[in-house]
Amino acid sequence: MANRLSGGGGLLTYLLAAAILLFVLAPLVVVVALSFSEANLAIFPPLGFTLSWYEGVITNEEFQRSFMISVILALSATFAAFVLGVPAAYALNRWDVPSARTIEALLLSPFILPILITGLALLQFMAMMRMRDAAMNLFVGHVLVTLPYLVRTVTASLKQVDRSLEEAALTLGASPWRVFWRITVPQIIPGIAAGCLFAFMVSFDDFPISLWLADAQTMPLPIFLQNSMTKIFDPSIAAMSSLMILTGIFAVIGLEKLVGLRRAMSI
Amino acid sequence: MSASSLPIIPALSQRRGIPRLVIGFTLLIPALAFLVVFLILPSLLLLSYSVLTQPQSGDIGLPFTLASYERLLFSPAYRRVVILTLRVAFFTSLFTFMLAYPLAMVVAYGRPLFSRVTMILVVAPLVVSVLVRTYGWQLILGNSRTGVLNWLLEALGTGPTPVRVLYTEWATVIASVHVFLPLMVLPLAASLGRINPSLNEAARMLGAPAWRAFVRITLPLSVPGLIAGLTIVFSLTAASYVTPQMLGGNRGTMLGVLLEQQVTTAFDWPMAAAIATVMVAIALSANVGVGWLFERRMAARLRRSGAA
Repeated sequence: MANRLSGGGGLLTYLLAAAILLFVLAPLVVVVALSFSEANLAIFPPLGFTLSWYEGVITNEEFQRSFMISVILALSATFAAFVLGVPAAYALNRWDVPSARTIEALLLSPFILPILITGLALLQFMAMMRMRDAAMNLFVGHVLVTLPYLVRTVTASLKQVDRSLEEAALTLGASPWRVFWRITVPQIIPGIAAGCLFAFMVSFDDFPISLWLADAQTMPLPIFLQNSMTKIFDPSIAAMSSLMILTGIFAVIGLEKLVGLRRAMSI
Repeated sequence: MSASSLPIIPALSQRRGIPRLVIGFTLLIPALAFLVVFLILPSLLLLSYSVLTQPQSGDIGLPFTLASYERLLFSPAYRRVVILTLRVAFFTSLFTFMLAYPLAMVVAYGRPLFSRVTMILVVAPLVVSVLVRTYGWQLILGNSRTGVLNWLLEALGTGPTPVRVLYTEWATVIASVHVFLPLMVLPLAASLGRINPSLNEAARMLGAPAWRAFVRITLPLSVPGLIAGLTIVFSLTAASYVTPQMLGGNRGTMLGVLLEQQVTTAFDWPMAAAIATVMVAIALSANVGVGWLFERRMAARLRRSGAA
């Protein structure tokens, strides 16, 4: 295994990687550290230890409202992306659709188009169509950004399915419908779950779509957080941010448990 | 992998009477229709605004004009923003590559434990909102003694003058490197993992020192991952909004921030549409251009190895 890291070069690589990981963790650690500070301003170094900022945030009704909006939005967008994305990925990879590669590129195009532009285009379109329901508009926008994640992960899982099992079932007389449910689905379920989890996080953390489509009554958490950042300078911002970091940690653990991070990230 | 390599399924489903094409398109149509209605049409509409006129009355319409583009690309204040955007994207891609390489090496070749831990630490920030990570950098780069960096420098005794990075384009570069680092590490690690170990082994057995085997074998063979990473980092940085808005200050205004200002304070839709078009053009040319360069390189390499 000559590719393994060893010797002086290997040690140097490990040391460099460790230093870079410090850089990766630094901003998150600073945010979490300040969220426990007793000082009235979010400045370094933190003083003492208190949970009162968390208490303040969790009991804040506006925060609760935004949190609920974000959770509902992320759940419904993920569900819609699932309903649209799984059949599409299945069709592209199993049903010999002509120009499948072009269609796949189209389905993945929200990845290439800057999200900020997607949101603005949608805002203008909704205004033109007289669609003024912010919750509905946010839902549509969030489905747009989550859909490609499902298409991509489901496509990747379908490509790993052992095709000879599907063929065997078909030759033995099972209908394509039965083959799909009994052979294909059990093999792609972890991939679908990982895709849904990813989609949930993308929607939950989304800023550039909600920036355009949210209004004062319907404010997802990241928009609420950004609004608070311009008005409040105490560690409650750090506490809110730490809660979002915590959600992210749960998501990573979930991915690792479901499919393993390497597969989820297609390494 | 090709979807058409399965001759058995068509024969069987023809027996069932429903043409395969009909089934395939029925499964596809909901997703396609959704994208056409809510992505393709609105985007084309927005881009078309960039060549229309907005009179005082506010109703956007004919005649066609290139005035917005002219202003964006030739008036000094706007052109500065375009150039700054490209510069920030360029330096972010460069530094991201430099920091991602050692991490990707550990993920691909490190001992199992180190590899796993590195992978988790690299991916974890990816699921933390950009807003939160940028806020972290705001706290670190603060221009007075209360910023973490300046506090640290003072504690180390490097003099009284605080470093002033916040509200410059360099703050944006630093935070963007942090935000997009995972997107460079992942394709690089995937690419490194695919390199055949016996190539390195052969080089070492033939007497090449480790660094030389790295430069002549590992580095060139990781180019596909590198290309994928550079493309995505460059185009996402050029299109970013949160990071330059929170860290860049007035002097670090990038295209995304300018776009938001044009819509929410200037109400200049043709100008906003022109900015959007330029941003899309940057993203597309990063995607197409880098791929094209890479294919040309591969073609040249194939020609060389064919001749040898």
